[in-house]
Amino acid sequence: MSPEVALNRISPELRPLLCSVVRNGRVGLDSTNCLRITDLKTGCTSLTPGPCCDRFKLHIPYAGETLKWDIIFNAQDPELPPDFIFGEDAEFLPEPSELPHLVQWDAEDPECLLQLVKELIQQYHQYQCHRLRESSRLLFEYDSLLEDPDYGRSLEIYAGHKNSWTGEFSARFLLKLPVDFSNIPVYLLKDTALDPGEDVALLFVSFEDAEATQVFPKLYLSPSIEHALGGSSALHIPAFPSGGCLIDYVPQVCQLLTNKVQYVIQGYHKRREYIAAFLSHFGMGVVEYDAEGFTKLTLLLMWKDFCVLVHVDLPLYFPRDQPTLTFQSVYHFTSSGQLYSQVQKSYPYSPRWDGNEMAKRAQPQPKIPNNRQ
Amino acid sequence: MAASISGYTFSSVCYHSANSNSDHEGFLLGEVRQEETISISDTQISSAELLQVVEVHNHEPCAQLFSFYNYAGLVNEENLNKILKERRKNVIGWYRFRRNTQQQMSFREQIIHKQLTQLLGVPDLVFLLFSFISTANNSTHALEYVLFRPSRRYNQRVTLSIPNLGNTSQQEYKVSSVPNTSLNYAKVIKEHGAEFFDKDGVMKDIRTIFQVYSALQDKVQAVCGEVEQSERVKEKVQQEVNKLKQQIALRKQKNAEEERRILEAQNPEPLPTPEENTEPPETSLLSLVAFNTPSTPERPGPSANPPAYADLLSLQDNSLLPSSSSPTSAALLPRPQAVGSPGHPSPNPMGLGLGLSVGSSPAPSPSTPYLGNGDGSSSDSLDRQAAGQEDEDEDEDEDSSEYENLVSEVAQLPPVTINVLAQGRPASLSPDGDASARGSQT
Repeated sequence: MSPEVALNRISPELRPLLCSVVRNGRVGLDSTNCLRITDLKTGCTSLTPGPCCDRFKLHIPYAGETLKWDIIFNAQDPELPPDFIFGEDAEFLPEPSELPHLVQWDAEDPECLLQLVKELIQQYHQYQCHRLRESSRLLFEYDSLLEDPDYGRSLEIYAGHKNSWTGEFSARFLLKLPVDFSNIPVYLLKDTALDPGEDVALLFVSFEDAEATQVFPKLYLSPSIEHALGGSSALHIPAFPSGGCLIDYVPQVCQLLTNKVQYVIQGYHKRREYIAAFLSHFGMGVVEYDAEGFTKLTLLLMWKDFCVLVHVDLPLYFPRDQPTLTFQSVYHFTSSGQLYSQVQKSYPYSPRWDGNEMAKRAQPQPKIPNNRQ
Repeated sequence: MAASISGYTFSSVCYHSANSNSDHEGFLLGEVRQEETISISDTQISSAELLQVVEVHNHEPCAQLFSFYNYAGLVNEENLNKILKERRKNVIGWYRFRRNTQQQMSFREQIIHKQLTQLLGVPDLVFLLFSFISTANNSTHALEYVLFRPSRRYNQRVTLSIPNLGNTSQQEYKVSSVPNTSLNYAKVIKEHGAEFFDKDGVMKDIRTIFQVYSALQDKVQAVCGEVEQSERVKEKVQQEVNKLKQQIALRKQKNAEEERRILEAQNPEPLPTPEENTEPPETSLLSLVAFNTPSTPERPGPSANPPAYADLLSLQDNSLLPSSSSPTSAALLPRPQAVGSPGHPSPNPMGLGLGLSVGSSPAPSPSTPYLGNGDGSSSDSLDRQAAGQEDEDEDEDEDSSEYENLVSEVAQLPPVTINVLAQGRPASLSPDGDASARGSQT
């Protein structure tokens, strides 16, 4: 159900409260998934003219799971605070004194419901952490993470229901990795309008048993970061070492990610340097170049009255990967109607050279006259 | 745990709930009692089952939401007392009605329930949740109700039964144990009750019917007595008849012999031999028989009926017979006592019925036990013909013409004969001369 449809069916007095939930509602670490509303029903008699829906199901992403909570208002008494049914978590009973927005419910404040939900999530998190006590191993994991200031503050735990058949206990940990994405060149973070949220990297670790013998980690990146780092295939995190623990593993993953980010940043700078060097070497011969990402450069070079277009493509992991040179004729067509071109990859190149060096070394090529001549 | 609610209370709660345009809540009043069922089976001595039965008699709806608790779910005892007033001690649970929601206790309901359990002091407070589900196009509405007892961790749901609702295969109307607590009803019953109930609280009709029954029973008992009497009379008469038959036979024999003698006398025989002395022993015997010797001819010949066993017994010991119970019961029917009849002791169908002279029953209790065979067959126990009784039998109207002649002849018999007869009997009866009781032989 789209948010707008939901808002239209809600009783007018309750609409402002739901607006903030549906439009801006992000609770928890996973800000990419926003709160959803489904199953709108009414508590009034069926003869009451609509819109008069006042009870619904709220889907809240939490620790890799989705909580489905029923929220019950009364359209005839819109100033009253709502009631909650916590779905399958029948034993979750927060202390009302820990919910200030419930005790001082203000129906005039549109943010009230959203704040109340956030407080409930906090209480829920504490409840889940309490449930971890059933497994000492997982409790240890949790405590060790909690002590580390880097990870302890942004942690979501979901202690799964015990499998009554096998007696197994499972848990899910969702951590926000403290990786700095701020230096990633802006051009890499495409379509910021669609994804105005924070750039996050979340590590999701799923423990399928209480003894942590089956551990499945997964890395979730916000879409722009994922794109900036080269797509989902570019990132493979190491498997969880058996017998290892999170407090060792998580920094590993963090480091990996940080390295990747650094590499991307450096690559950008390197490319910029390379293009700059080429520009200075072939200044008049430059047709065009990518001034944002520095990934392409086109030169028009002459060699003994023979003009040739040279396209230079710089790969993402530039210094490591060699740029591709494509020679394109300005005179001849191939049989398929394209300009005749030839790709040249075997030219002297070393990733350790700086841009100037590369530009110089790229010169001694047949058919490429130095325009200084 | 079992729970029941009367039909009118349930419909009243539904009415209040369905007519509210929002959620609705209230309290349930009633009582909780423990029922203990003891079952005895072959495999074990006994097993007692304790069942807690919750009965909802009434309900107290709340006029609005949050009337006794605040936003945080904290119950205000003052407001609670204002709502419940003096009915507070009758509270056994509370209910809530919400439309289109799950059948599960919500967050606030759980918090309130815990507090109510403590405040009202009812450890097993129940919570009745009504849920009204409508389909999307409002074509079907379902009213669902679940009774919870949240104090338990498991088996929280209790079945709520509404008598006379649902099972249409039962034809009769079940009266539930839920009492009618309406004041008006009690007043009316009190006013008009005197027309139907007497001072003991028993319905008057019952007493009247019982009186009719008693009267009928009395009549039956009386008839029983008469039947018995007539049976005895009949028996005596039968004996007389038999006796007279014997006498007739005897007389015939005598007459025949006399005629023979006369004939012989008329035809003199030139034989004054001592053989005459041999003959007369026979005739003298006969004559003896006619006058003095009762024993031999009175021996019951093959023509007479064999003596009944009861007669044999009676000759030996009169006291043996009263212990037999079957003849007694034929004479006197035991009286089943009606329930609720005061002053009637419990019945005893055994022979004691004879001895009991129950208040209103004019049953005849004869002093002598019934000695006959019970079927009126002839018996030769002349012992029963105590002195004086035979004379009474003369007045009986036996229609048989055969005996009319004998009536006067019987009177002519000297009474001495009878006594002699009685004395001689024991010796003639036992072939081996043993006159001891033979009561144990059959």
